Amino acid sequence: MSILVDQKTRVLIQGITGHEGARACREMLLYGTRVLAGVTPGKGGRKIEGVSVYDSIREAMLRHPGINTSLIAVPAPAVRDAAAEAIANDIPLVNILTEHVTVRDSAWILAAARSRGVRIVGPSSVGIISPGKAKVGSIGSSAVEKKIFSPGPVGIISKSGGMTSEIGILLTRAGIGQSTAVGIGGDQIIGSDFADLLMLFERDRATKAVVLFGEVGGSYEEEAARLVLQRKFTKPVVAIIAGYFTKDLPPATILGHAGAIVSRGRGGYYSKVSALKKAGVHVVNTLEDVPQILKAILRL
Amino acid sequence: MNLYEYEGKKLFSRYGIAVPRSVLWRKGRAPRRAWMAGPVVLKAQVLLGERKKAGGIILATGAADAARRSHAMFGKNIVGEIVKNILVEERISQADEWYVSFSCDTARRAPVLALSPSGGTGILRARVFVIDPSSGVEDFFFRDAIRSAGFQREDIFQLLGVVKKLWSIFWNESALLAEINPLFRLSSGELVAGDAKIIFDDEKVRPAARRFISLGGDIAILASGGGASLLSIDALVRAGGRPANYTEYSGNPPASVVRTLTKKVLSQKGLRGCWVVGGTANFTDIYETLSGFVAGLREVRPRPRYPIVIRRDGPRQREAFRMLERVREDEGYQLYFSGSETSLSESARAMVEHSYRNTGVRRARK
Repeated sequence: MSILVDQKTRVLIQGITGHEGARACREMLLYGTRVLAGVTPGKGGRKIEGVSVYDSIREAMLRHPGINTSLIAVPAPAVRDAAAEAIANDIPLVNILTEHVTVRDSAWILAAARSRGVRIVGPSSVGIISPGKAKVGSIGSSAVEKKIFSPGPVGIISKSGGMTSEIGILLTRAGIGQSTAVGIGGDQIIGSDFADLLMLFERDRATKAVVLFGEVGGSYEEEAARLVLQRKFTKPVVAIIAGYFTKDLPPATILGHAGAIVSRGRGGYYSKVSALKKAGVHVVNTLEDVPQILKAILRL
Repeated sequence: MNLYEYEGKKLFSRYGIAVPRSVLWRKGRAPRRAWMAGPVVLKAQVLLGERKKAGGIILATGAADAARRSHAMFGKNIVGEIVKNILVEERISQADEWYVSFSCDTARRAPVLALSPSGGTGILRARVFVIDPSSGVEDFFFRDAIRSAGFQREDIFQLLGVVKKLWSIFWNESALLAEINPLFRLSSGELVAGDAKIIFDDEKVRPAARRFISLGGDIAILASGGGASLLSIDALVRAGGRPANYTEYSGNPPASVVRTLTKKVLSQKGLRGCWVVGGTANFTDIYETLSGFVAGLREVRPRPRYPIVIRRDGPRQREAFRMLERVREDEGYQLYFSGSETSLSESARAMVEHSYRNTGVRRARK
């Protein structure tokens, strides 16, 4: 099994005629994912990689009622409207690839999604992949795909797109496959955080352990630690937290991702590491330690 | 992006929130206003908080006293910033001090209103109300909040006015924080903003800005990817290296962008090495970006003789490395390069070893 994405995933791409949208479409089709339709207002009627383009989600849904996932790849200022359209059409899973969405728009989208029971992953999400089944987004490029992800028992949740792949490669090389890998994005406000997805992995019988990639800023790592401490998540967790060097930098400095904000106390490097350790999470300093620890945990 | 108090107060005025009479004093030219004959406050215009404790807020009895006291304040270092401007403000006395702010709460993943009838204590002792922005915010929501935070019923409508205006600023201007602390309540019942703290969302103000932060060390860094850049510098520091800077280029930038960034990073003083580092790219064209790096490298004067360690992988990496080999042979740069078969930590150790070889600097602990 897996979480969020599998053989039953039927994808709609919002912004399919754009550069990012078309590339993600091509990559997803190459991986065998069923992309049923695309939407770009004003550009309906054409085809991208053989996929029909519509002017609105309503029109796309009439022709393809099986759509259950939307990938949003429109420019940042158009993301809020695109998400509103997906939410109004009750698409249960919306993955936002676009970067540089304002905190205001994200907050609006999450509030709207919550009231309609829609799950948001992202913004700034590299995508979701359940190896051997399907993928959504630009995760696991087909050019180097074979050596990145492989099917198996380990879940990955990462704030960083690049590090999602890097962890995938290391695990695959060590002979450890993955159930699902999710890029949750490094923004200040995100649709699904570590804790949300840990709850899904808890229920997924194929997942035997989970790897988290977190970084300084915000409190999503601390929330994950709390979940583990309260025994709401009971499987082994290996975590790596980036930003050790920021411990001496002035607070409020932003590094890399919009949510990677240097903090003292909660949100800072030591706050996250100590919360996770206290909860019994295996915290490692380097990526190479991840497969080693997993092998010991899973007795591979 | 943070606003100075005087900029925040201009914004307040535009949205109809009352502020005390004030004038900005730029060093050199003393402002003249009739009201300056009375008691005034001199407020150093610096961005970070806690300026009162650091001597950034001084009371004066009139224009002459203000002139005398301003001398001590101009040029002073307050919370890491040199004072260039002073806001001279009419002093408000005998008023209650309240706290009002809107901010984005990352744990609740929503905007929140914080209210307190005892100002100066900040957000810590305020009551916090979570806002659902998707359905629009009605007046009754704010009125309920005002009452449950402990304000008197005769203050409801005055405060509602300020709260609504502050919400408009927060929401319309894409702010991450809009705070009034203190909000003065005069004996007449009138409300006046004593301070203004506004932070705008950088994603709105300058979404494409490339972050560059000086770290004071001697190994220049060019990192790709938000997560990889943090983890790489961690690895370098753990290996005993001293990073000169933080910078990062994400996505798939054209060669010209990397060239400009390279020149900026390598023009730092006292460098002993340069590390070009990233994970395995999905879409970033490694040939394109490393061509940009080489173009930038060639323009740096004096010519870098220190070691340059490159750890990159992804599309067109082989072509890129063949190009680097030619550059090394023909132009004599000290280039070392590897792909994802070398881990970030191994590459960090190699960087430290090459940089501090024969320099007497103690080598890394493992």
